[in-house]
Amino acid sequence: MTNLNAIDPAAVAEEAKIENNDVVIAKSRIIVRRFLRNKTAVTGLVIFVLLTVLSLIGGIFSSWDKETIDPFNIGMGPSSEHLLGTSQAGIDLYALTVEGTRVSILIGLVVGLVSVLIAAVYGCTMAYFGGKVDKVMLFILEALIMMPALLVVAVATSGGGNGLQQNLPSWLLLIIVLLIFNWMGTARLIRSLSMSLMQRDFVKAAQYMGIPARRIVWRHLVPNIGSLLVLDITRGVTGAILAEVAFSFIGIGIKVPDVSLGVLIGQATSQVSTFPWMFWVPLTVMFLLTGSLAMMNDGLRDAFDPSSSSIGSAKKKKKTS
Amino acid sequence: MSSETTATDLSTAERLHVAGLHSAHGHYSDAPAGAVLSVRDLNVRFNTENGVVHAVRGVDFDLMPGKTLGIVGESGSGKSVTSMAIMGLLPETAEVTGSVRLKGQELLGLSDKAMCRYRGNEMAMVFQDPLSSLTPVYTVGNQIIEALTVHNPTMSKQAKEARAVELLGMVGIPSPKDRLKAFPHEFSGGMRQRVMIAIAIANNPRVLIADEPTTALDVTIQAQVLEVLHTAQEETGAAVVMITHDLGVVAGMADDIMVMYAGKPVETGSVDDIYYNPRMPYTMGLLGAVPRVDVAEKTSLVPIEGIPPNLIHAPTGCSFAPRCPLVSDACLQGEPALAPVGGTGDGTLEHRAACIKSEDLGADVDVHQIFHAPEVPVSRFDAVPRAERKAVLELTDVKKHFPLMKGALLKRRIGTVKAVDGLSFDIREGECFSIVGESGCGKTTTLLEIMEFHRDQDGEVKIGGLSNKAASDAKTKAAMRKELQMVFQDPTGALDPRFTVYEVLAEPLENSGMAKPAIRKRIMELMELVGLQPDHVNRFPNQFSGGQRQRIGIARALAVNPKLVVLDEPVSALDVSVQAGVINLLDLLRAELGLSYLMVAHDLSVVRHISNRVAVMYLGKIVEIGDVDNVFDNPRHPYTRALLSAIPVPDPQLERTRERIILQGDLPSPLDAPTGCNFATRCPVFAALPAAKQEKCLTLEPPLETATAPAPATGRPADGPPSAPTDQQFACFYPDGELDADMLVVHESL
Repeated sequence: MTNLNAIDPAAVAEEAKIENNDVVIAKSRIIVRRFLRNKTAVTGLVIFVLLTVLSLIGGIFSSWDKETIDPFNIGMGPSSEHLLGTSQAGIDLYALTVEGTRVSILIGLVVGLVSVLIAAVYGCTMAYFGGKVDKVMLFILEALIMMPALLVVAVATSGGGNGLQQNLPSWLLLIIVLLIFNWMGTARLIRSLSMSLMQRDFVKAAQYMGIPARRIVWRHLVPNIGSLLVLDITRGVTGAILAEVAFSFIGIGIKVPDVSLGVLIGQATSQVSTFPWMFWVPLTVMFLLTGSLAMMNDGLRDAFDPSSSSIGSAKKKKKTS
Repeated sequence: MSSETTATDLSTAERLHVAGLHSAHGHYSDAPAGAVLSVRDLNVRFNTENGVVHAVRGVDFDLMPGKTLGIVGESGSGKSVTSMAIMGLLPETAEVTGSVRLKGQELLGLSDKAMCRYRGNEMAMVFQDPLSSLTPVYTVGNQIIEALTVHNPTMSKQAKEARAVELLGMVGIPSPKDRLKAFPHEFSGGMRQRVMIAIAIANNPRVLIADEPTTALDVTIQAQVLEVLHTAQEETGAAVVMITHDLGVVAGMADDIMVMYAGKPVETGSVDDIYYNPRMPYTMGLLGAVPRVDVAEKTSLVPIEGIPPNLIHAPTGCSFAPRCPLVSDACLQGEPALAPVGGTGDGTLEHRAACIKSEDLGADVDVHQIFHAPEVPVSRFDAVPRAERKAVLELTDVKKHFPLMKGALLKRRIGTVKAVDGLSFDIREGECFSIVGESGCGKTTTLLEIMEFHRDQDGEVKIGGLSNKAASDAKTKAAMRKELQMVFQDPTGALDPRFTVYEVLAEPLENSGMAKPAIRKRIMELMELVGLQPDHVNRFPNQFSGGQRQRIGIARALAVNPKLVVLDEPVSALDVSVQAGVINLLDLLRAELGLSYLMVAHDLSVVRHISNRVAVMYLGKIVEIGDVDNVFDNPRHPYTRALLSAIPVPDPQLERTRERIILQGDLPSPLDAPTGCNFATRCPVFAALPAAKQEKCLTLEPPLETATAPAPATGRPADGPPSAPTDQQFACFYPDGELDADMLVVHESL
């Protein structure tokens, strides 16, 4: 077979090829390729990105902003002046929707990402150390799960948190409260998953190779619960958006003058028949937002999951019969 | 199951076959009278995401009453699907065509309800995994009685119970009457498989299908279960279809063999025809790929390169052509049919082979030449006497005891499990040392103790001069990890599914602080070293076959240039043909790189093939240790003798005549290990000893004694002067004692 010390032209050529990096493809590229192969997921991503961009720069397409009242058009339907009509206060609905979408996406992304991050760190730490640490941390977790989140949100955003309310805008307060109550389920899941991963042969192999514990957690544990993390992030974002809508709807979330999709929907529900555009416009945007995230879910999982059947477009063949 | 969809692309003859299926009494004229089961042109197709998989392509055979047919092949060759199709156990989505006749009655096309009259009654099946084929919530008696009730509704309760006791007794379960009320978890794996056999033969079936019945069991237990199957067949006169990948298992049992490849039988014939006069390259390769436990002479194994074809695409030529060393253009012109090759004709099945070159192949052709088996590699250390080589690993009195606790709040110690109990051995440079024994004897714990390398361990572990007692700080540990690497049993579990091969191999190198360009170069070297294509480094492990994954595991272990590689059952998860390639690779690497191996294996044939020295372990202790040829050819400890005799040899004639020691019972739980000799409870020598001598075995622990070379009187020429001390040590007071006659089994009647 091969002699390790032999130098032959083929090996030199091989080396040059390796140097030029066309043999070793980076994993990120493989993941991107796999994701792009899933049409639904790409559509979802496109919708989500468009909505985000719109929410950020949407204001420049309209001369109205979310505070200016148009006294001549109060509660009017869509017209050439106001693209999506106006609210009962006479504020341009387009401007309100753009602002509301931005707040909703912000809440969703921050809560989704940060809560999964907290959950991952907490869960992995529990699993890695085990023993007493695990027991104490698990107790804290259980205690948090028992707390009635709804009441705390109600108290924090209205009466009880007066001092806080003056210093913080209501959306930030909602983010903090949602964060505190959002990560426990995921943390438990991650703990049990990493505990079973710790028993796997490849973790043992890494230990026997003398890889330090920190690196094992980072390189073997976290990526292997990665598809779950990705799913949980998208699900967490969706969940946070919906929670915000729900809380605002019953009047304990975002407070006027701050606007969010939930506030808009909540305000419009009582007069759906008279002012339908006020209800349907923010609702459609919310559907697009959560729907695009759901569409991305599948593709993301496939891209990160090595056991997915996605092995290359060349091999894909549809059943003919 | 409509035939229209397939009939369009079938030939006229095949269409007639399909049509014959639907006529109620259409006869296949070639079915011999008296055949209890005849299968004709059995085809199974599965619809999958990727297309239609043609899993079984035209299987024909006849089974005479009381005879045994062995179906042999690699995984994925369609052997299990064939048996499932016969039993009617395939899912409804599977498309089954052809004919299966049980005593002249057509079974294909029967409804599930109609099949139930045959299943468990006329036809019964024994499954591979005894642990999951019994319902855990019902007693064993219940499950046997259930099988009786279904097919004999009029039988009285007493009669059923009596029959259940009789059945349990027949399969060799001690005190069957009490065990009737036991739950499956109270039985060991071997016992559960016996219960499965009891259920299968409950209604005196005419056909018994055994699908890899012993694959999940230890060798000693395998011998027991095969024995039970044999008695069951004798008692009921049933015909047996034995499905296995182990050519050794069927050699002693089967009358006829059918070798399957890619869903098609490629060679059929009597046992002797197949084993002594194979006419198809695949069969020859399979036979050459199996290491022999009874042969000392070193030859390389025959590797069959490549993987079985994808059955989604209909093969245009011979399906074995891509892997066949004798392939020529003619092989690619159409698939060869099974043609008679004129064997001895003493079996039910005519000797047929599906190869256009079968004329040129025969008993006198050397399979090693055909398959280009590599030369036996010679290590530079082989010439150096063992005593002069450096020790790479030394174990002195290593112990691992687990306390057994009971109680919820206040835990109290109720006993100790002595998983490893005072182990001492050493491994020299360039040598392969193996530990063998049944599962539960402490082999793997020993490995883990070595890998652990901690100061607080009981006993001293010395790796390449570094002792675990002296200094076990991070620096010494890192140095030790460079000397010692491990290859795991399950190649799939040992590779992080999220790492590409490149990342898998880069990990140990990065950890040792190598620069990036150097790592790339080293990885390309490693890929080539273990026989993989270097441009496969971007693939994920699940895109490789089992054998290739194990090669990646080996490459990872070799990445940091260790001196000693620990192999934990390195080939037990692999197919026979693939196994041969990996064993050859391990052999080659040992010679080329001057490696030492510490191997744990339960397959003694593999151990014999690859090792220089061997230790036999029983309940945490070494009972015999020494040079592999000495130990295997001249075993002194009764346990070693029993282990060796339990291994089936792929040689039908030898298998029929040799005497076997069938050990009674299972490995005792380490919790209630006996005080004297651990093995006394199962020892065939002990059982035959007079009571006065038994006392010694029960009270004293036999120490390891150095064996002397066998006296010439035993018929074996001694290498040195008689009674010179050898390398071999064993722990038994009466190594030359008589064996208990009850535990000896000889099949001369076959």
